[in-house]
Amino acid sequence: MAVATTSDKVKWGLLDAVVVVFALIPVLWIASLSFKTPATLTDGNFIPREWTFENYKLIFQTDQFVRALINSIGIALISTLIAVVLGTMAAYAISRLDFPGKQLLVGVSLLIAMFPQVSLVSPLFNIERNTGLFDTWAGLILPYITFALPLAIYTLSAFFKQIPWDLEKAAKMDGATQGEAFRKVIAPLAAPGVFTTAILVFIFCWNDFLFAISLTSTERSRTVPVALSFFTGASQFEDPTGAISAAAVVITIPIILFVLFFQKRIVAGLTSGAVKG
Amino acid sequence: MAITDRHPQRRTLRARALAAGAAITLLAPLAACGSDEGGVPVLNLYQFPVENMQNVIDTCNQEAAGRYKIVYQVLPRQADDQRVQMVRRLAAKDDSMDILGMDVTWTQEFASASWIKEWTGDDRAEIEKGTLPGPMASGEYNGKLYAAPNNTNVQLLWYRKDLVPTPPKTWAEMIQMSQQLKAEGKTYQVLTMGAQYEGLVVLFNSLVASSGGHVVSDDGKTAVMDQGSVEALNTLKTFATAGVTSPSFSNAIEDDVRLAFQTGGGAFQLNWPYVYASMQGDAPDLAKNVAWARYPGIDAGTPSVTTIGGSNLAVSAYSKHPDLAFEAAKCLRGPESQKYLAINAGQPPSIESVYDDPEMAKAYPMKDTLLEELKNAAPRPRTPAYQNLSTVVAAELSPPAGIDPSRTAESLKKSIQAAIDSKGVLP
Amino acid sequence: MSVSSTTPATSAAADAEQQAIPKQRGRRKRVELSEGKRQERKLGWLLCAPAAIVMVAVTAYPILYSFWLSLQRYDLKFPDEREFVWFSNYVTVLTNNYWWTAFGVTMLITVVSVVVELVLGMGLAIIMHRTLVGRGLVRTSALIPYGIVTVVAAFSWRYAWTPGTGYLANLLAPDGAPLTERASALGIIILAEIWKTTPFMALLLMAGLALVPDDLLKAASMDGATWWQRFTKVMLPVMKPAILVALLFRTLDALRVFDNIYVLTNGANETSSVSMIAYNNLIKGLNLGIGSTMSVLIFLTVAIIAFVFVKLFGTAAPGSDEGKR
Repeated sequence: MAVATTSDKVKWGLLDAVVVVFALIPVLWIASLSFKTPATLTDGNFIPREWTFENYKLIFQTDQFVRALINSIGIALISTLIAVVLGTMAAYAISRLDFPGKQLLVGVSLLIAMFPQVSLVSPLFNIERNTGLFDTWAGLILPYITFALPLAIYTLSAFFKQIPWDLEKAAKMDGATQGEAFRKVIAPLAAPGVFTTAILVFIFCWNDFLFAISLTSTERSRTVPVALSFFTGASQFEDPTGAISAAAVVITIPIILFVLFFQKRIVAGLTSGAVKG
Repeated sequence: MAITDRHPQRRTLRARALAAGAAITLLAPLAACGSDEGGVPVLNLYQFPVENMQNVIDTCNQEAAGRYKIVYQVLPRQADDQRVQMVRRLAAKDDSMDILGMDVTWTQEFASASWIKEWTGDDRAEIEKGTLPGPMASGEYNGKLYAAPNNTNVQLLWYRKDLVPTPPKTWAEMIQMSQQLKAEGKTYQVLTMGAQYEGLVVLFNSLVASSGGHVVSDDGKTAVMDQGSVEALNTLKTFATAGVTSPSFSNAIEDDVRLAFQTGGGAFQLNWPYVYASMQGDAPDLAKNVAWARYPGIDAGTPSVTTIGGSNLAVSAYSKHPDLAFEAAKCLRGPESQKYLAINAGQPPSIESVYDDPEMAKAYPMKDTLLEELKNAAPRPRTPAYQNLSTVVAAELSPPAGIDPSRTAESLKKSIQAAIDSKGVLP
Repeated sequence: MSVSSTTPATSAAADAEQQAIPKQRGRRKRVELSEGKRQERKLGWLLCAPAAIVMVAVTAYPILYSFWLSLQRYDLKFPDEREFVWFSNYVTVLTNNYWWTAFGVTMLITVVSVVVELVLGMGLAIIMHRTLVGRGLVRTSALIPYGIVTVVAAFSWRYAWTPGTGYLANLLAPDGAPLTERASALGIIILAEIWKTTPFMALLLMAGLALVPDDLLKAASMDGATWWQRFTKVMLPVMKPAILVALLFRTLDALRVFDNIYVLTNGANETSSVSMIAYNNLIKGLNLGIGSTMSVLIFLTVAIIAFVFVKLFGTAAPGSDEGKR
């Protein structure tokens, strides 16, 4: 195993810096907007000349935003969990088992991902009003799972496909049941795929606006992107840019935590050495 | 070697049970949306977010003394988003909406689709008494009243009195003054909204009305691009190509213009009165040098006619308690409420007497100019297909520097007719 | 032999063995095969059922309803004029200039942004995967652009590119407003798209990189392969399925670009995308017939492109049978 030299580290460190800068400069711009006073909002300076925490205080003044945060966290977590579980099951079947209707399922799930969601919202609204799902957590969770499943299935299939068959066979030769073979051998190797999917699904559910605004109406189920659209400025035409920027910064924090936690599990080398000789 | 294979199914069943269990627990709390609680009818007010609106609602609830309770269901800040939410529910005949806060341009559309109820008899008389004629017109459809004017709005000319001693009376004069300032190397720009959106249609409408022209016939069924409207196109093009606009003119909306003027970017601003309060707060030094005047006209001899903005209150056709809703709406847009919101939320009132109230003087020092304009203001073209019309007009007039008056007039006439007839494709 | 409790995998192994068995045991072999196969099918259906049920239950009616609406002339404002017109809506849309201009703009944005994102995404994936220092920091910060609410990011770009209010506008053209010219506006929109969704590609590609066995790479480098050879001959083939997923879904999303254009230019100067004009017709114009027609057309375009991709990638697609046995 080659020892990492200092020059290697410096090289990677520089590349890291480039990535971080390009990724974060616009984000820092949003953050700086959130700290600017209304008078200096558009002075074009990257670093605020006058700092204020007023915007942050403002968004937490009522419990409306906090309620929306709770809804978002709950709905996104549940949707992600269910979508990943259902997606894993389906992806395993699609990539490793043989049964009729497999191609159909793959095709149909892609079809669902492709249809413009703007046309689906009104019929969904009608269905949910008629079944009493309107303005509930389930009313959002079901569409979120539905539209996240195609990506989940495709991603997870790609991963299951890459895991060598011999591993499963070898495990069973060693006396493991199908379930144990899955849990102890396959699942760890599929972990990068599972956590990647989890991150992507979570972000999708977290940031969705179209379904959230159409299928909710009170703070019982209203999520954060919708709450952002309700912020008032001092008058009808004045955009509460400071408050919106502050809220945007706040709602990015759960995503940062989620990603930070899960990205550790997306590591290489899990398949190396697994297939003996 | 026979190996029993129970695990995948068990795992499957477990997972499915988990999902089902989660679904059931989530479905359980299915309280209805704002339903009648303990016998007191609940009236849902669907309106865009307004600062301090809850205080007005609380006052009206107190006056109701238990006969009904108004609940504020907030809609998104953008007018388009509000309309989407409302239309979706109205098309589904949703009975959970009672009072609707509507933009002035939606009355025709909603009334023609029978989504809102007509104001008749005493209710109508009460609304008409004391309300300015401009806003009144925005609530009518086919001669009947469908929406009660709530707040209103007209644009004014704001100018830097340290740069411009006397305000211009016409567009030509304003352009000439600006060019003069430019030649002298001083701040010179004329700032107003020119992006491809409703604001551009408002600008165009003001120019057409000031020229005495028409865009659609009185019955709202035919596109009419007469001499007045061609003159308006001419004025708009001259303005856009005279070198007096900001480089971002063709992408500017209300707030861009306000911010640009506040930071000292221009000598003239054509914008709604909300800029006054924000100027006082954000740039008090600059505000000392800013004065206002009537919106410029086309002809030196004819006073300008500006476009009415604002919002009205209507009663949903599917409301469960229409009588109570009318009563509640009357309170919500009554003189007391209008005065409160005028001072605390920046919404100019539509009832004339409110302007005379002494408390208004501080927040609305420009009220005389406002009233002058409101008495002679024009609504936007009145047709149920107004949204279509607005979309095609904004697209055709954008960017304003690219207008060719006679050709654009022809093209507009065709597009507007198609929009009114709901034929063809919107841009 | 207890046939009923064999697992699909062991029946696969059993299959392989039994293929060597001479044909005298043909009938029993066929019975065992179908028994094992039936088990496999049952398991396959069971595992897929929940996902399939959820997806179909939620979207079957709305999608079919959209198709049905596209065959009618139906304006919500004039409900009495509703009538069945078969395919005349399609003719109206497909012969309309606005539609084709928007189509061209959408294609341009899609092609440019996807190509750039694939290259940048691959580079970013390699950095995120192999960096020796600050791995958590790089991965997390690289994903933040994707995690920010699109509309807020779009607004921040709008401010940044407006002269006088932002820090970028004056970089390129001191006097001009980049958002008001078609070419530069399109460039800004594409840039905003790239910034926002490169992390999506990078994440999928990085996870794909995680599957490349280290020993293969080491063996290759010991055999004297250069970095580029290792990349193209070892890493890329293993990553093919992941690349397909990333490309496919990113392209599907790019074809439906809306938020960035809506905030930056609102479609001015012919920068509308097909999603924007579908929105204008369906939601603003309340023309359910034309709006649904546009949705169906967008769907068909996307379906054709997806079909091409899947065919190109062949065996890397999910559900194909390569490498199973």
